[in-house]
Amino acid sequence: MNRFEVEQDPKSRDTYYLNMGPQHPSTHGVMRIKLHLDGERIISAEPIIGYGHRAHEKMAENRDYIQFLPNPSRVDYLGGMIYNVGYCQAVERAMDIEVPERAEYIRIVCNELNRISSHLLWLGTFLMDLGAFTPFLYAFDDREKILDILDRITGSRLTYCYARFGGVILDIDDVFLDNVSNFCTYFVERLKEYEKLVIGNVIFRERTIGVGIFAPDLAQKYAITGPCLRAMGHENDVRKDEPYGIYDRFDFDVPTQTEGDCFARTLVRMEEMRQSIRIIEQAVSDMPNGLFLAARVPRRIRPPEGDYYFCVESPRGSFGMYIASDGSDIPFRLKLRTPSFSHISAMPAVMASTMLADAVAILGSIDIVVPEIDR
Amino acid sequence: MALIKEILDGTKTLLTGMKVTLDNFRKPPVTSQYPMEKIEMSEAFRNVIVLIEKEDIGSHDCIDCKLCERVCPSFCIYLDGERPEGLRRKRSTKFEVDFALCSDCGLCLDVCPTDTLGYSKVHDEAGYNRSDFLYDLLEPWADKEEAARERLKEIEAEQAAERARKAAARKAKKVRREK
Ligand code: SF4
Ligand code: SF4
Repeated sequence: MNRFEVEQDPKSRDTYYLNMGPQHPSTHGVMRIKLHLDGERIISAEPIIGYGHRAHEKMAENRDYIQFLPNPSRVDYLGGMIYNVGYCQAVERAMDIEVPERAEYIRIVCNELNRISSHLLWLGTFLMDLGAFTPFLYAFDDREKILDILDRITGSRLTYCYARFGGVILDIDDVFLDNVSNFCTYFVERLKEYEKLVIGNVIFRERTIGVGIFAPDLAQKYAITGPCLRAMGHENDVRKDEPYGIYDRFDFDVPTQTEGDCFARTLVRMEEMRQSIRIIEQAVSDMPNGLFLAARVPRRIRPPEGDYYFCVESPRGSFGMYIASDGSDIPFRLKLRTPSFSHISAMPAVMASTMLADAVAILGSIDIVVPEIDR
Repeated sequence: MALIKEILDGTKTLLTGMKVTLDNFRKPPVTSQYPMEKIEMSEAFRNVIVLIEKEDIGSHDCIDCKLCERVCPSFCIYLDGERPEGLRRKRSTKFEVDFALCSDCGLCLDVCPTDTLGYSKVHDEAGYNRSDFLYDLLEPWADKEEAARERLKEIEAEQAAERARKAAARKAKKVRREK
């Protein structure tokens, strides 16, 4: 059917179809949601994806492990560091490459900074979807501070290619550590401000409480992970459940809420930023000296024949990499499991029989990144 | 009654929000007036790759080993080279980078055996078509190439002398040990 045509349902002649997207600000990228509407009420919603497909998985089959390094951060440009580091960790585990202590700590600091910056962008855009413009500016200002800190050592602001097999590419210095601790002090105060500005706000509460509830059975049906799952009352976090890197050394909580609505997801993410700050503070104070890149990394990356699965906690949920290796230096198959894809598949179930304006709120609250859905 | 309470509570939260905005309003602006104000790029900033100068040679030291060409995931480095008369090493005669394809990953810098690759710190490059981004990295070094080759000959001669001396020393040692 032509997408401009209106399908006439013979039983109820006054329902109609509306395309949200592909260029709609609240889809945060090029994605289309085909809404079947009855007045303002959504009868069914069907996400149509693939506009930003770049065949990352296929690319992996045509280049060696080292050449795939710039790709993971482009899968999710908001959590680039976490994906980049995660891919390195996956290959390191497959190959048993030892990573120096200092590199592990640097990775933790960068990962958590990246998580905060991603959550900040989500906060800004989510609130803008709901019609609040001011928090967007504040969030971007703070996010800019993080990008500046990371820019100083990684040389990039969004699509980092900073981690290497066996460590990171550049050492950090005292200025970096100072910047990070200053930011932590500043940001804890700033978070309180955000909470005052947003969480209490009556309009925000009206728009989010009880909206977009994830029914309890959805979690298993659609493999919901990350903040969306924690907002449903499950205390699942890859960093806690299957600690990778050195996450088991840090003391942090996994925030949960039970309602599973947009408001709960907001609270969970807000608290997550605070926990990230806690992790960063611990990592900065324990930062050991030493090598930032392992001295002996095999020149040819050839994981032994077999299948490997490794997952990390991205800002959106569990990001998994499935590497099937045939012993050569080109992956036989590299499957990327991205959280946004699972979340967007749950949208038909969540959005059914909500209001059109709530669809925008729901989409904003699950924090999708479209390139990550399409890969 | 409940309605009045709701309205009052709502107004209170709105006022709290406005107070936060007002507090921020009094803070100095955070934006920088970009074209008027120059922004310092960080040490690690990555733009197009460039050949960097080696002090002892007075020019770059690309030996046309083609490692960077081979590792580049975007296949955007195009190389050619020759072996000049009287030199042990090769010199590159063509080094082009299609910056429109480059992903600034830094893998070429990692593999370069002579560490002669670096990043340009210019951040505002723009062009009208894609061919504007095909950079010839050898261009800035063109007039220094002759001198560099002469200099390299001296360096290589020194190195050869050093090697010969070491080999002689080793041989002498071996002879002594055999005795
Ligand atoms: S930085 Fe990466 S993409 Fe750019 S030329 Fe070097 S290897 Fe190629
Ligand atoms: S790796 Fe270095 S020396 Fe080799 S061709 Fe590239 S720039 Fe030249």
